[in-house]
Amino acid sequence: MDWDKLVQLIVNGLTLGSVYALVALGFSMVYGILKLLNLAHGDVLMVGAFMGWGVLGWLGGAQDPAVAVWLLIVLMILVAMVAGGFLGVAIERFAYRPLRRAPRIAPLISALGVSFFIQNSVLLLFGANFRSYESFDLVDVEVGVSWGPLNIWILRIVVMAAALAMMLALWILVTRTKLGKAMRATAFDREAAAMMGIDVDRVIVKTFFIGSALAGAAGVLVGLVFGSINHFMGFGYGLKGFTAAVVGGIGSIPGAMFGGLFIGLAEAFSVGYIEDLTRGRLGSAFSDLVVFLILVIFMLVRPQGIFGKPEVKKV
Amino acid sequence: MRKALFVVGLAGLVAAAVVTAAVARPAAQAAPAQIAACTNVSLGFLGPLTGPAGFLGQEQLSWLRFGVQKYNKAEGTRFKVVLGDTQLKAPVARTVARRFVSDRNVMAVIGGSESQAVRVSGKLFQAASLASVSGSATAIDLTKGRPYRTFFRVIPNDAIQGPDIINFVSRNLKARNVVIIDSQDDYSVPLSSAIARGLRARNVNVGRESVAADDTDFSSVVANVGSNVTVVIFATQVATAANTLSNQLREQGKRAIVFGTDGAYSPSQFKPRSGYVSVFAPDLHFDPRARAVIREYRRFVSKDTSGAFGPATYMAGWVAMSAIERACADGTATRAEVVRQLRRTNSPSIIGPNIRFDAKGDLRGGGAFVIYRITNGKYMAIR
Repeated sequence: MDWDKLVQLIVNGLTLGSVYALVALGFSMVYGILKLLNLAHGDVLMVGAFMGWGVLGWLGGAQDPAVAVWLLIVLMILVAMVAGGFLGVAIERFAYRPLRRAPRIAPLISALGVSFFIQNSVLLLFGANFRSYESFDLVDVEVGVSWGPLNIWILRIVVMAAALAMMLALWILVTRTKLGKAMRATAFDREAAAMMGIDVDRVIVKTFFIGSALAGAAGVLVGLVFGSINHFMGFGYGLKGFTAAVVGGIGSIPGAMFGGLFIGLAEAFSVGYIEDLTRGRLGSAFSDLVVFLILVIFMLVRPQGIFGKPEVKKV
Repeated sequence: MRKALFVVGLAGLVAAAVVTAAVARPAAQAAPAQIAACTNVSLGFLGPLTGPAGFLGQEQLSWLRFGVQKYNKAEGTRFKVVLGDTQLKAPVARTVARRFVSDRNVMAVIGGSESQAVRVSGKLFQAASLASVSGSATAIDLTKGRPYRTFFRVIPNDAIQGPDIINFVSRNLKARNVVIIDSQDDYSVPLSSAIARGLRARNVNVGRESVAADDTDFSSVVANVGSNVTVVIFATQVATAANTLSNQLREQGKRAIVFGTDGAYSPSQFKPRSGYVSVFAPDLHFDPRARAVIREYRRFVSKDTSGAFGPATYMAGWVAMSAIERACADGTATRAEVVRQLRRTNSPSIIGPNIRFDAKGDLRGGGAFVIYRITNGKYMAIR
């Protein structure tokens, strides 16, 4: 057993999983309240990544930043969160709210349309070239925590810590604040919540803002740790985030966090071990096969996910 | 009555089908011998202007336009460039190729830049007798057995690159353990396999990995690279990917360096602390004999970010324009005449010896790849 490789794969999986968890949270929050799959959520991540890239360029670029690196990263994340949040609110207002009483397929189709609209708008504005954060120039890859043969780049630690901090903040918001209580009430029974005096529309808007802000932040984290972004990156991260939300239990916040990390680790381990396990028949290119096989298995065996509760209908 | 109507209807349908089949021809064959007046002639550019390899296509286009302007000024011609963005996607390249075939002003195509674009357009161009001259498509099968009779290239192919890399890695770098990563496309898989076979024949231990062409994270692939591996050969068309791979190797404390194939050549995007890259043409920025051309090019563009891809495409455009001009000696020309003239090309080149094509459309004599050593992001030609 190559322990160094195992530990390294855990680090890689947790980095990737942190990003998936942030995306999954957005999916889960929106689904919890509206029972709607916001398929444009991955594209909000992509817009966040581009906003972060814009801030980076505006503040002098990676090689010669005008402010301290930590401040630069904080600003990039904040701007991406605000932009992502407002984009989410706009999506809710114009694409989903008019369809709130329509059959469930209608907002789903609308979500697909929004996804393509955002993707193509960014293509039009920025072109299809891969954009580089040049994060390897921003912080050298050898700067980090060394532990025996293991070296963890500081930006990986930043990504994991930032994702964890945001997840905890969300958890506190949902469980300890008035807004959180209103969100839970709306998720439980929208009509009853409205009768109790909760402004449901406002709660939905705030939910979209928070979920989309997390996706915007995730976009910057992706750019920072992997170096390059493009206009179609949202599709892949959105799909994996959705898978994470389903595995964790869509609608459940702890489930989304767990699902994200689970899928990140599954992806990393499948790249690392698939060749050994299949005696060379499958290579690292087939890691997505494993990830989506997990999705299919969960859909068949435990569709409510690990943390979700089966839907009970009174007959 | 109903039966009679059915029989008549059926007969009508069969007749319509027969007539349609007799009259219709594939779109590509619609204009095999169009005659151009030689006063309004265009070159189609078939390459990735956007997408992961957009930097490559933009550089090629910039040099092509530079060449066209220079040629027009020198020869008093009025060539134009028509753009065709493949986005590095074969289906898109095919659509663009169809557009060029149907545009009667396009008398030659410069490209496809990438081998897969040539594969999907080659037969269409051949059917329309439309010449295509590539400055960067290196796959061996594009000319082996002459599958596309109107295709030419001004650069050496992977039959030269593969052995060059094998020799360099085994002899100069004396590597005993190597990992080869392909990016699951028509360009990188055959090249990677050929290099793997060649290295194994020299008793080098070779591991294979594979990533998607648009992957941006290689950290888990890097975890598979053993500590005894000294060279990772990455056959990619995305220079930023090679850069990320190189940094993630360093991040995980691996001593292996990245050897990028020609698609990774980009002094502005592939900037490892230590690495190598092979490319089919010299980067004129590092060649003191090319100072005049570079000076002239810098006057043409506002910002020179070019590398080795541009000058080869400049030459592709140059030989195509020369051939069209010869074909136009009597005031009109057909596409087939342009192809015939291209076969007779013997043109001085800014990237090497005179350009002459063999019967397959390859450079006569084969040509040679250049290998650059990269130290702290700085490129230096060593072969």
